Amino acid sequence: MLLQQVPAVKDLLRKCVRCGKCRSVCPIFKEIKTESAAPRAHVFLTQLLRDGELQPAADVAQRAGRCLLCKSCSVECPSGIPVDQMVVAMRNYLKDYSNDSIKQFLLSTLFKNRKSLQRAHFLLQGYQATGLKSIVQKTGLLSLISKDLEKASRLLAPVSGPLASKNIPETAPAKGKRKMRVGYFLGCATNMFYPQRALAAVEVLMANGCEVVTPKELQCCGMPHIANGDAASAQSMTAHNFKLFYEAGVEAIVSDCASCSSMLQGDYYDQLFTDELPREVAHFEGKIFDLNKFLVDEIELQETLSPVPKTTVTYHDPCHLVKSQGIKEQPRKILEMVPGVELIEMEGADQCCGGAGTFGISHYDLSRSILDRKINSIKQTGAEFVTTSCPACSMQLAHALTEQGLNSEIKHPVELLAQAYKAARQAKIS
Amino acid sequence: MQAEQLVKELKSILGEDKILHEKLDLLSYSYDSSFKARNNRYVPDVVVTPTSTEEVSKVMRLAYEHGIPVTPRGAGTGETCGALAVNGGIVMDLATWDTIEEVDVENMQVHVRPGVVHAELNKHLAQYGLFFPPDPGSSAMCTVGGMVANNSSGLRAVKYGTTEQYVLGLEVVLPNGEVITTGGVNSRAIKNVSGMNLTKLFVGSEGILGVITKIRLRLWPKPKARGILMAIYDDLEAAPKTVLDVYKAGILPSGIEILDSSAIKAVNEFKPEINLPDAEAILLFELDGNPASVEWEGKEVSRLAKQRAAKVEWSTDPKRMAELWQGRAVTASAAARVRADGSRIFAGEDISIPLNKVTESLRRIKEIGKKYGIGVVNYGHIGDGNVHTAPVINPEDPAEVDKANKLIDEIHRTAIELGGSTTGEHGVGAVRSQYARLEHGAALDVMFTIKKALDPKGIMNPGKLLPEEGNNHAASASTGS
Ligand SMILES: Cc1cc2nc3c(=O)[nH]c(=O)nc-3n(C[C@H](O)[C@H](O)[C@H](O)COP(=O)(O)OP(=O)(O)OC[C@H]3O[C@@H](n4cnc5c(N)ncnc54)[C@H](O)[C@@H]3O)c2cc1C
Ligand code: SF4
Ligand code: SF4
Repeated sequence: MLLQQVPAVKDLLRKCVRCGKCRSVCPIFKEIKTESAAPRAHVFLTQLLRDGELQPAADVAQRAGRCLLCKSCSVECPSGIPVDQMVVAMRNYLKDYSNDSIKQFLLSTLFKNRKSLQRAHFLLQGYQATGLKSIVQKTGLLSLISKDLEKASRLLAPVSGPLASKNIPETAPAKGKRKMRVGYFLGCATNMFYPQRALAAVEVLMANGCEVVTPKELQCCGMPHIANGDAASAQSMTAHNFKLFYEAGVEAIVSDCASCSSMLQGDYYDQLFTDELPREVAHFEGKIFDLNKFLVDEIELQETLSPVPKTTVTYHDPCHLVKSQGIKEQPRKILEMVPGVELIEMEGADQCCGGAGTFGISHYDLSRSILDRKINSIKQTGAEFVTTSCPACSMQLAHALTEQGLNSEIKHPVELLAQAYKAARQAKIS
Repeated sequence: MQAEQLVKELKSILGEDKILHEKLDLLSYSYDSSFKARNNRYVPDVVVTPTSTEEVSKVMRLAYEHGIPVTPRGAGTGETCGALAVNGGIVMDLATWDTIEEVDVENMQVHVRPGVVHAELNKHLAQYGLFFPPDPGSSAMCTVGGMVANNSSGLRAVKYGTTEQYVLGLEVVLPNGEVITTGGVNSRAIKNVSGMNLTKLFVGSEGILGVITKIRLRLWPKPKARGILMAIYDDLEAAPKTVLDVYKAGILPSGIEILDSSAIKAVNEFKPEINLPDAEAILLFELDGNPASVEWEGKEVSRLAKQRAAKVEWSTDPKRMAELWQGRAVTASAAARVRADGSRIFAGEDISIPLNKVTESLRRIKEIGKKYGIGVVNYGHIGDGNVHTAPVINPEDPAEVDKANKLIDEIHRTAIELGGSTTGEHGVGAVRSQYARLEHGAALDVMFTIKKALDPKGIMNPGKLLPEEGNNHAASASTGS
C-alpha cells in the first residue's frame, strides 16, 4: 500500500498540532530526551515522506525503527493521532532500506510457521543446553553480527520442554456442560517458551465449559512482521489463521498473548487489507478476546477454588493489553480471586518494559534502560514473583531478573487460576 | 563560520554526544506547536544539549565571537515559533537538563535547572505539601525554563497569577557568555527590592536577552480542598455578570472558565457522552482552600449564579468534579475534531480582553469567522479575560491557509481595538511582533535599547518578540504561512 493511501496517513496526519503531549508519555523519549526521539517527530517524518520532502533512505528507516509500538502516545494524543500506525506505515514503506539482519533472520525462521518454529525450537534448545556455538556456526548464524546475536539470545527465555502444541489436542472437550466452542490462538512465544502457560489456558477454558479448538496449522499472528515492515507476510498469515478458525466453526477466539489478541483484533488491518476485510476475518469482529477479559467478562467464571501456597505477586500491564485494549481490571480480578495470592501493585504498572518483541534485539541498550526502570518498580514491591499477560514481556522481565539474581519466574494470572482449580479438584478427591 | 566547522568546534567544547547535526535530527527541531511552523521549515545548522552553566557559557562565547544566532529551546510547546531558529544557527535544547537541585522547604522555595517539566516538578513537590501554582495546559510537557521565558500561566491565574510572581531569582548566561545571578547572588530571601528588578526583565523575555540556566522559585502550600460549580446560561451577556457578582461578594475562585456555544457544540460532537446542555454559555468556577471555606464559598457562588443562570450545579465529590471539569478539559482537543478533514490551528489563539469586553469579543470573533467561512471554537479564562480562539481549517489547503491568516490578523486587531492585547500568556515570538508598535508605542524603542545593550550583536534568538527594525510601523504582515 502506498504511504499516502494508509488511512491514518491520509486522514489523520494533518490533525497533529505538534502539541508535544506525546513527549510526556513515550518511554523512548524519556531515555533519549531530544526532540528527534519524540513521537511527534515520527508524525513529522511521515509527513515529509508523504510529501516527498524526504526521500526513503536507510537513516529514515533507522529512525522509524526507534519505536516500541507501545501506543502510549496514541492513547494520550488529544487530536487522536495513532502515532504507532504512522510508524508502522513508515516501516512498511521503507522496508527495503532496513538493514537489520538479525531481525530479518528471526522473522523468516522463528516466526514463520509451525515447521520453522519447530526447527528453531530444536536448535535453540540445543544451543541453550550446551552453549554449543557449533550449532550456531552450522546454521550460518555466526555470519550475522555475532555480538548482538549473543545479546539477543540472552533475551530469549530458556526452552525447557517440548512445544505446547505437542501436548494440546486439536479439539479439547468442555468439562461438564458445553457452553461454547472457543478457538485458542496459541502464539509462537507461548508455544515455545511458556508451554505450561498454554496448557493452563486450555485447562481453565475447559473447566469453564468451553470446548477448545487449537488448530495445528496455525501460523504466527503477524505482529512481528507488520511491526517490521513486512505487511505482505502479516496479511497472508492473518488470512490463513482466520480461515482455520472459520472452518473450525468456533464462536470466539481467545489468546493469552497480549500482542496476538491485539493484532487479531485488527490493530493494523487497514494497512494489511486495502479493500474489504476477507469474509473469515470480518466474521470474527467483536469475537476476539484476551484470555483475562474473556474469563472475567464473557463467561461465568467457575469459582470453586482451593488455596494455592501463600504467595505475593505483582502485575505488569503489557502495553498491548492496557493501551491497545484498555484491559486493566480483568487480570487483577483473576489474581484477587485466587485464594492464597496477594497482589501488591508496583508503581507504574502500565509503563512499558521496553521489550516490544524484536525491539530489544535491535536496540538492546535502549531497551535495557527502559527495562531497568521497570525492574526497580518491581523490586520495590517485594513481591515473590511477577505476573503478566504477554510472553514477550515475560521474557524481557525474566532477562533482567535473572541477571540480578532475582526470582525470574513469570506467570500469567491464568496459571494461578489453573493451580487453584487443580487444588480444588484434589481437595474433592481426598 | 561554515556549518561543518561550527559542528567541529562545538564538539570540542561539549563532546560528541551533546551535539546533533544529522539532517533528521535538525528537521525535528524545525517545529514547535505554532501554525506558522507547520508551513515553514526553520531548520537549524546544529543543535546542542548542554547540561551545565559552563557549557552554556562556552557555547555562547563561541557564538558571540563568530556572530552566530543562538535559539534557546525548552520542550517546543510554544505557539509562536519562539524556540525555532528562524535565522538558522544553533538551537540550544535545554530540556535534557532537568535536575531539581534543591527543595528548600523551610524557605518555601525550589532551585531547578531549566529543563524540569512543570508536572514533574509539582509531582516531586507534593511530598512536601507544596506546589508551584501556575498551571499551563501544557503542564505535562513544557519546561520551567520555557515557562519563565514566556511568563506562562494557566487556568488558575485568576487567583495564583502568572509565573513572574513566583520567580525569586535567575542564573542567566548573557549573549557574550558572561554569567549573572539576579535576585541576589546568595539570596534565599522571598522579598528583595535591592537593586533594579532584573529578574522581571528576564521573565517573559522569550530568550532574546540570555539563556536561563537556573531558576529559584517561590512555592505555596497546597490547598486541602477543592470544589467545582457549573452554571448554564441562555444568554451570553449574563455570564460575565455572574463573574462580577462573585468578585463583588469578596470571593476569589482559583479558576473561572467559559465555553461559548461553539465550544459546547464541539464538546458534544467530540464526546456525546459528556452531554453538555445546549446553551449560549457555560461557566465553570473552581474554588480551592480549606474544606470549610470551600464549602461556604461554593454555597455563596451557587446562590449568586442562580440569579442569572438557567441551571447551577455545585460539587466537591472528586468523581463528579472530574465529570464537570471534563467539558473544559476536552475543549481544546474537541475543537480539532469537529471537522473530519480539519485541524485546529494555534494562531490568533491567545488574545487578552478587558473583563467588561469579553462577551463583545466572543461575538465579534464569531462574526469574523463567518466572514471568512471558518469555524472558530471559543473558550477561555473569563476570570482574567484571556480568550482562546481555535480556528478549525484544513491546514493543507493553501486557500484556507490564506483565509486563516486574514482571520487571525483581524482577531489580533480586534483585541487591541477593544483595549486588550494580542497575547495573554503564549507570547509574541515570530508571529505577533508586527503588532508591537501598535500595542506599545514609544515603549517599543526602550525595548530595542535594552536588547541592544545586552545583545549588541543581535545573536540571541533573533527574529522574536521585537519587530525587525525599519519595519516598526508596518504592523501589517499576517501570522500564518
Ligand atoms: C496544548 C497546549 C496548551 C498550552 N497551554 C498553555 C497555557 O495554559 N498557558 C500558557 O501560558 N501557555 C500554554 N501553552 C504554551 C506553551 O506551552 C508555554 O508557553 C510553555 O511555557 C512553553 O514551554 P516550553 O518548554 O515548551 O518552551 P519552548 O516552546 O521550547 O520555548 C518557548 C520560548 O522560551 C524560550 N526559552 C525556553 N527555554 C529557555 C531558557 N532556558 N532560557 C531562555 N529562553 C528559553 C525559547 O527561546 C522560546 O522563545 C500551551 C501549549 C500547548 C501546546
Ligand atoms: S501526535 Fe498528538 S500528542 Fe503528539 S504532538 Fe501530535 S497532536 Fe500532540
Ligand atoms: S508507540 Fe510508544 S515508543 Fe513508539 S512513539 Fe509512541 S510512545 Fe514512543
